Amino acid sequence: MRAFALLLGVQAKRTLREPPAAFFLIAFAPLYTVIMGLIFGNAARPEFGGRGYLDANLAGFAAIVVAISSFVLVPVDIVTQRESGALRRFRATPLRPLTFIAADVLVRFAGAVVSIVLALVLGIVAFGAEPSGSLAAVVGAVMLGVLAFLAAGYVLAAAVPTQGAALVLANVLVYPLIMLSGSAVPLAVLPDNVRRVARYSPLTQLVELLQRLWQGGAWTEAWLPLVVLVGLFAVGTALAASIFRWE
Amino acid sequence: MTSVISCTDVSKRYGDVQALDGVSLEVRKGEIFGMIGPNGAGKTTLMECLEGLRTRDGGSVEVFGMDPERRPGEIRQRIGVQLQSSALLSRLKVGEALALFASFYPDPVDWHALLDRLGLGGRLGSYVDRLSGGQRQRVFIALALVNAPELVFLDELTTGLDPQARLAIWDVIRDIRDAGTTVVLTTHVMEEAERLCGRVAIIDHGRIIALDTVPALVRSIGAGNTLRFTVDGRAPVAELEALAGVTSVEQEGGSVTVRGSDSRFPGEVLGVLARADLWPRDLSTEQSSLEDVFLTLTGREMREEHPA
Repeated sequence: MRAFALLLGVQAKRTLREPPAAFFLIAFAPLYTVIMGLIFGNAARPEFGGRGYLDANLAGFAAIVVAISSFVLVPVDIVTQRESGALRRFRATPLRPLTFIAADVLVRFAGAVVSIVLALVLGIVAFGAEPSGSLAAVVGAVMLGVLAFLAAGYVLAAAVPTQGAALVLANVLVYPLIMLSGSAVPLAVLPDNVRRVARYSPLTQLVELLQRLWQGGAWTEAWLPLVVLVGLFAVGTALAASIFRWE
Repeated sequence: MTSVISCTDVSKRYGDVQALDGVSLEVRKGEIFGMIGPNGAGKTTLMECLEGLRTRDGGSVEVFGMDPERRPGEIRQRIGVQLQSSALLSRLKVGEALALFASFYPDPVDWHALLDRLGLGGRLGSYVDRLSGGQRQRVFIALALVNAPELVFLDELTTGLDPQARLAIWDVIRDIRDAGTTVVLTTHVMEEAERLCGRVAIIDHGRIIALDTVPALVRSIGAGNTLRFTVDGRAPVAELEALAGVTSVEQEGGSVTVRGSDSRFPGEVLGVLARADLWPRDLSTEQSSLEDVFLTLTGREMREEHPA
């Protein structure tokens, strides 16, 4: 238990001491919200069915943070620490891998959720965005999404052999996923067949869930995204736990 | 003496390479046990099999009477390890690293005092990444000692360190031993083994080719001391050869080399010279070292593999 508490502190400090990681984990979502808010504002627009840009898109911004922290920050850090031999050093101690991973997940989870909630609050307070549904439901979905994708990120971290491969994979995976998710570019502007493909991405499903809840939809209407995210979490956790290695 | 480690016929293969080929040894409580040999000889693999970090292909290993592969948890509580490729999580400070590793054990030492003893007391807030080589090595030694281990493994203890840092670390290791900890270390610095280790195993191609105290190993190859000097005039070669303990005398111009197998003959040689009214200049003695033992046993030099 003491080891867990100290690992929490260590991982939090390590993240904050690495400016690019800290930026993407904490500062990116609020900053992105401010930029988008300044460019597009939240005045009613016909292309968003009479809603403002932020009301239509703000909830989906979370997906950008989720994708970057899970598919870039997690694999790159874990693979780097594994390659350096730092994780191997832990193997010679009584520390259990699960304790290490749990602390690491909790730190990244807290960082991502704080950043996304900050972005939502900024959108609401500074730019007049207003959820038609419950904000608590949106935050709940954010938490589910962060957890599900972090689990997937650990699977990548365990499967990828080298730091170089982790970086390549991150680039190949993350940008298409974000572009197809509807979080950066509204899905409505994409061609029909691209949109059909995009529906298969779990990140698109997360955006779908967040936007639906923001617009006052019920959890029960969003059963497909829910199944996808819960499934991703379950499969990701089981897989990561079985293939994670110190070296 | 009770043995802390005993292993019999340990073997390990990586693809085509037989890294360990039937290694048997015992390490006794409270000794500093050294493993020397060139790079790739199998020292690290053997050490990792003893630590339970690597699965052996065959043979048996007991540490504190337990198989490290079967009871890794219990053994890891009681051993300290400094790995050859020592690394820590990046962006970590010295104090944070020590506090973290201390938290893995139920009964850690006072690591502030440990750092003071290692000369790192003023470095608590420094990033481990930014320390000098010698300081970083001492951090890793501190981490290996943070649980007050009964047995500590040090792999390539002082590789890449300057002589001064090396001497300081040797002192620390002797202190640990004096406090009752058993130490197992690998090195390819012969002087380190000679100065520090009670017994030494010479490992080559995955086998132990000799195992004993350093003086006994040196005696075993029949080499002893060498005495060199220069005299004006002819040295009494026949008389010197007749001395007890002298094995050979060579004269080349004025310079004479006398080899012998015991430690008394240099004195006798000087006596003979004095009686002949010859006064030696450029007098030097040279003792055979582990280097010579390795050379005699394998026909190869070990120094070629000297680290950067």
